[in-house]
Amino acid sequence: MFKTDDIFTANFTISDEIYNGFISVFQDKNPLHTDHQFAAEKGFQSVVMHGNILNGFLSYFIGECLPTKNVIIHSQEIQYKNAVYLKDTLQFKAVVVGVYESVKAVEFKFDFKNSEAKTVAKGKIQIGLLS
Amino acid sequence: MSRADILKEVTDIFIDVLDNEDIVLNDETQAKDVDDWDSLNHIQLVVAIEKHFKIRFTSKEIQSWNNVGEMLNCIQEKGI
Repeated sequence: MFKTDDIFTANFTISDEIYNGFISVFQDKNPLHTDHQFAAEKGFQSVVMHGNILNGFLSYFIGECLPTKNVIIHSQEIQYKNAVYLKDTLQFKAVVVGVYESVKAVEFKFDFKNSEAKTVAKGKIQIGLLS
Repeated sequence: MSRADILKEVTDIFIDVLDNEDIVLNDETQAKDVDDWDSLNHIQLVVAIEKHFKIRFTSKEIQSWNNVGEMLNCIQEKGI
């Protein structure tokens, strides 16, 4: 089902609903994420989106965008490279870098790029294929 | 690579994956002898070993292992 170098892509937009929903659920109201003046003083063009919103997109990708629903996340690593802002649309790409038939595991490298083609986050994620 | 060297590298992988510096493996070691060597960590161990030695096991092979010694035999049989 998965082969090394297989590529999967998706676009994700950080909508008001996602931003406000994240704050509502997790209550992270740090001024970097909620106070425009504070964010500007720190050198950002606007309030910075929570990095873990991108983990939500990763969850959606694994749970909903792969050719099988029989999946479980084993591990993931993510590095944040550039700030993401409200209404940004991110281009997501995941490449299969390892297939481990013996234990039914698949490893992907992924990145998120913004509309300027700048990488905002990248990492690795390993999933298991459920029987 | 000698069997002792393979055992050392496999031990280092166990220490890293299971985050336990106290792990000491020998041919007779079984999952029940190592804290946290459960089914989920077993997957991570196998993936880490396959990556490290650049080998691939089959599901039949890993199901046949009864202890670390049999795992090492399998690694050696792949020309390591």
